[in-house]
Amino acid sequence: MTHPGLPEFWGAIIWLFMIALSLWAIFQWTSSKKSSATHSSKHISLANIKLLQPFVKFITTSGWPLLVLKIISVALFSLVIYAGLNGTPIPERNIATVLTWNIWWAGLIISIFFLGSAWCAICPWDALATWFVKPRIWIKNKQLLNINNSLQLTPPKWLRSVFPALFMFIGLTWLELGVGVTTNPYWTALLSLLMVVLATLSLAVYKNKVFCHYICPVGRTVGFYAQLAPIELRPINTDICKNCTTLECFNGTEKIDACPTQLVMGNLNQNTYCTSCGNCTQSCPEENISWRLRPQSNEAVQSARPHWDEAWFMLTLLALTSFHGITMLEFWESLISKFAQTLGDSGQLLTSFSIGFVISILIPILIYSLVILLTRYLTQTKIKFKKLFTGLVFITLPLAFAYHLAHNLNHMIRESVGASQLFLNPLGTNTKPADLSATILKEYNMLISQDVLFALQAFLMMFGFWIALKVLRHRSEKLLPEPMPGAGWKLSPLLAFIICINGFHIWMLTQPMIMRMGSLCISPSLIAPL
Amino acid sequence: MNRFKLAGNSGSILKSFLLAVVSLLITCEATAHHVLGRPAYSLNEDSNTPPSMQVETQIGDYYLTYMVFPAFPKPGENGRVNVYASRIDNGDTFQGDMTFSVRNDGWFVDKNEETIGTQQVYDGVYRQGFLFKENGNYIITAKFESGGEPYVIDFPLQIGESSSMGPVGIALGTIVLALIGVNVAQRKRLVREKIRNTRDEQE
Repeated sequence: MTHPGLPEFWGAIIWLFMIALSLWAIFQWTSSKKSSATHSSKHISLANIKLLQPFVKFITTSGWPLLVLKIISVALFSLVIYAGLNGTPIPERNIATVLTWNIWWAGLIISIFFLGSAWCAICPWDALATWFVKPRIWIKNKQLLNINNSLQLTPPKWLRSVFPALFMFIGLTWLELGVGVTTNPYWTALLSLLMVVLATLSLAVYKNKVFCHYICPVGRTVGFYAQLAPIELRPINTDICKNCTTLECFNGTEKIDACPTQLVMGNLNQNTYCTSCGNCTQSCPEENISWRLRPQSNEAVQSARPHWDEAWFMLTLLALTSFHGITMLEFWESLISKFAQTLGDSGQLLTSFSIGFVISILIPILIYSLVILLTRYLTQTKIKFKKLFTGLVFITLPLAFAYHLAHNLNHMIRESVGASQLFLNPLGTNTKPADLSATILKEYNMLISQDVLFALQAFLMMFGFWIALKVLRHRSEKLLPEPMPGAGWKLSPLLAFIICINGFHIWMLTQPMIMRMGSLCISPSLIAPL
Repeated sequence: MNRFKLAGNSGSILKSFLLAVVSLLITCEATAHHVLGRPAYSLNEDSNTPPSMQVETQIGDYYLTYMVFPAFPKPGENGRVNVYASRIDNGDTFQGDMTFSVRNDGWFVDKNEETIGTQQVYDGVYRQGFLFKENGNYIITAKFESGGEPYVIDFPLQIGESSSMGPVGIALGTIVLALIGVNVAQRKRLVREKIRNTRDEQE
């Protein structure tokens, strides 16, 4: 069954917005000789808001709130593994598949929009790995248990980039969309176990959290998208950090571990590797680290520093996000089927899928590379290709994030109906597959009305486009500082790239989308008598 | 996991890549709603009957639909496999004979194939009954010949519950072994450091 796509009315509104903003951008950038672009970098530290002070202080300096959340997350994760291995193979009746793919995987991206990388703080993979390798119990300043079963080796150079996470992400997407892990509770449980094993082994061998820093595809996706989040962990008073010589945030203390990704809070200017673990807030003797609000997308627009490996991650993230959408459109199946006939592929058509998958990743990368070459030619800049490639790649981040949010919102709002009932029978014992009437019934019981969903999707697509333009303007001015008459026209290849990618995403949203799995509404007639 | 194979087909990577690009660019027909090759579970019109497991796939010139009744057969329980085969180009149903065989798909087990029957089409469907005595993962193979080409396609069939302790045991075993290994290495490292310190002090 398919979900209806975004109505043409909303598609037209977004296009009008995009055209108007693009024309304004070309005109504004071309006519202004000197940069008039300003980007607000005002921050509001939550620790300075009197009403919130006690609450913020409690959650940042006490270890209990995080511990409780970690226990809940590990309990749910264990339930996923147990139900996946022992429950019904019917995906919409097993909590393993529903909780993992319909709720967590879809909701995770939405959570970044509000909470940045907060998920990483309660990640069950890392929590279990830490409890296995470095169990530590303190009660009222009394140490009851403190074991460090890690070799603490320095990771090899090839591991110290986000390329491992990038390959893991490609592999995860292949398993998700090609092999169909999302509709198989047993494989979902196996994948969950594998992630715990990888997190534990890397913690047992290397120092700090190599898995979180370089390998975890979810953590890195969260990290990059968190550049667009309105919240960050930063010093309350930067002068205190400037004068700090002990760097507890970086080195840790007797009770609190060092920053798992080796960040020094006084120098921190991007969220990419912050896992919101709270070590810095708890270890700082001055209690100088806290949450603060900032303009959405501040980092992507100006403060995040470009790196070659990160550029590839961001670009592939865009490609994979678009690919997710493509595979859920009706034409994809017939396309792959025809391609399989040409190749002589059979069965699950994995060869055909894999080739289509690789092509879908390569196309946006090739187009972006060509756009950078063209921009280089038009601007007559002496900046090297690699620097321009990495410096401007941030424009892909809001495009990918906006579509990812709009797409996942559709899954979550439409397919999570009735999910709470699964907790009454998480293994789906004696349940039957969803029939058509239950699936249709679900469309009438959406979490919010369909019109509101469409409006939110349209808003997100416009938001993504607007941020991408802001990123392009600020980043290009930073990279190409010399006076550039006709800047608007010279940057038009990049502007066209943004319009094309966002336009393609809008087109995908307006198409009927195949649902991930059947209905979750468990009508009494579908449950056989026990 | 589903496992399928088709006799005699190969192609170079470059050729595949170019074909893929061309196919992706020129094909845009919207028809199917199923994900080919993946199991789906459904109820009959009469929801009092047990659910069935269904896999749709394609091989060579044919679309194949494979259904298992009941969806989760148990040892000692009679079950049935239904196979529909129709040509991709014109939808004509395949009319020749179809031979079904079975083999065990578990680890460390006898993988000899056993023919369970040759069936003729009846009302467009090939029906093959089965009865398994033991739990396990099996592969049902359907073989037929069309246009001088042999067609061989494998379908998975699980009898009884799948193993739950195996994966958890492997995961926990790996973690425990790694932690023991790290512990031993750390102890050796500490002893070495102690000896070195003692030597340094003596010097």
